[in-house]
Amino acid sequence: MGIGVIMLDLTSPYLEWIGPMMPGEVFPYFFTMEMFQRALLAAMAVTIVSGFLGSFLLIRNLSLIGDGLAHVSFGGVAVGIVLGSTSPLWYALLFSTISSILIYEMQSREILTGDASIAIFLTGMLAFGLVLLRISGGGITLDVEGYLFGNLLLIDSADLDMIITISLISFFTLISIHSALLATTIDPLAAKIQGLPVRGIGQIFSVVTAMVVVSMVQVVGTLLVTALLVTPAATAQLIGRSFRSCLVLTQIFGFSSVILGLYLSAEMDTGTGSMIALVSATIFAAVAISKIIRSYTSGMRVYSLNEA
Amino acid sequence: MKKQILDVCDLSVVRSGKVIIRDVCLTINEGEFVAIVGPNGGGKSTFLLAILGLLKTRSGTIEIYGHPPMSRKLHRKIGWVSQAASHLPKDVKITVRELVKLGTLHSGNMFDFDEIFGIPVPILNTGRNEKVNQAIRMTGLEAVQNTPVARLSGGQRQRAVIARALATESDFILLDEPLVGIDPESRNSLLKLLDRLCHEQGKTILMVSHDLTAMSRSAHRIVFLEETIRFDGPTWSFPDMDKLADLRGIANVHGD
Repeated sequence: MGIGVIMLDLTSPYLEWIGPMMPGEVFPYFFTMEMFQRALLAAMAVTIVSGFLGSFLLIRNLSLIGDGLAHVSFGGVAVGIVLGSTSPLWYALLFSTISSILIYEMQSREILTGDASIAIFLTGMLAFGLVLLRISGGGITLDVEGYLFGNLLLIDSADLDMIITISLISFFTLISIHSALLATTIDPLAAKIQGLPVRGIGQIFSVVTAMVVVSMVQVVGTLLVTALLVTPAATAQLIGRSFRSCLVLTQIFGFSSVILGLYLSAEMDTGTGSMIALVSATIFAAVAISKIIRSYTSGMRVYSLNEA
Repeated sequence: MKKQILDVCDLSVVRSGKVIIRDVCLTINEGEFVAIVGPNGGGKSTFLLAILGLLKTRSGTIEIYGHPPMSRKLHRKIGWVSQAASHLPKDVKITVRELVKLGTLHSGNMFDFDEIFGIPVPILNTGRNEKVNQAIRMTGLEAVQNTPVARLSGGQRQRAVIARALATESDFILLDEPLVGIDPESRNSLLKLLDRLCHEQGKTILMVSHDLTAMSRSAHRIVFLEETIRFDGPTWSFPDMDKLADLRGIANVHGD
């Protein structure tokens, strides 16, 4: 019995208590039935960590690394399936950790600048996975589709254990390095002169990113990882004034996206991942539009020259 | 006798096959305010990067407080002020206070945190907030300490970066082109601030700039660097244009 099951045992009485107060016909099952409880818990854990991580990815100009590593992990999953593994996510973890560190090294050594290195890993590993599946005769099965588009209801106890473990490790790692990470992101040169291990911090961050992306693959699916990783953080950047307030706002937006997305997907019988992504994009649009309207009505320019 | 802060001897730097700096010798004592001036491509920034230990040197020795560059013993002694206008990311929402606080980090305390999501944890008080307050007060940024850095003017942003260097409690402050993109009024108050830091706090300041006129009004000593040092002396003895041209080896194209 892993930590995920323990967490589930701890929280399920509370979930069952608030369940009947929830609106809708299908949605309350997320609080009362164990299969759905697992889904809810996994989604929550991933949201907290990805919001925290996403705030840093955004300012490091790595918004698309989530998408890239998710595709890499698809290649890893394919290898796992072909090798007959029961938990192909571990292969995904191995592949994306290696790729994440390589992407960081390529960028910091200026072998390839910008997101070109992400693009290469993304396409290369995705192609590798597809070719491998075809050669082994599997093709895209329903199971594989679950990894691509996400199906919360596929999560079993072992997966929940893995997701909760990774989330806890990543969360506490991020908490302990977050000041140094911010310093090395904002001004790497100054951070190095201050004596911070810029490269070490960057590598730890790469590993954490890979771990979180892999744990997210099953919740929202390879194609929709970016939605939870970047959209809440980007929404928060619109209205936050300090880095700290952005972190808090990211959590608020992430949570509302997940809860609202689960509710709507349950009631309208759509995929969970796509609905969560749609809701978080809608929240972003609403906040962006209200910001524009407010700056017009208060007579401020939308694009202030000072900020440009 | 004053303490030697920086001692550079016979320094040469070659970058991609081209000699940028050749046989540079420079000594800076405690409490001096030294400006390195020179034309673009004359090696000013290369010199700074070399003494920080970020570039490979071909020959020569560099000692700061008697240690080689990038030594662990130097971590809290050097304050680095980058070209703030161009180096700070513009899309990051970070307040002046948060930026200055980053200056208090070093390898010994980077895993400590004295607050979680803005809620202070009294047991974990690391005394960093006092350093931040002091640095903000010294640079006169009290009024804007909770403003996002991206909303500041160029001069204020430069002050914020200086405040970050002060929060490190370093005694030797290096500035790379701090006057670029700053209006004349802020330029004067910035130079006054540096002068005050030098006289009242006893900081040693080494500044790189191509603004010769501004430097001649503020620095105590001017070093003219163009591949090698062409002039090094007190500001009052800085040569006039004609003599400077001779020092730089510029021939008179009109002939006689």
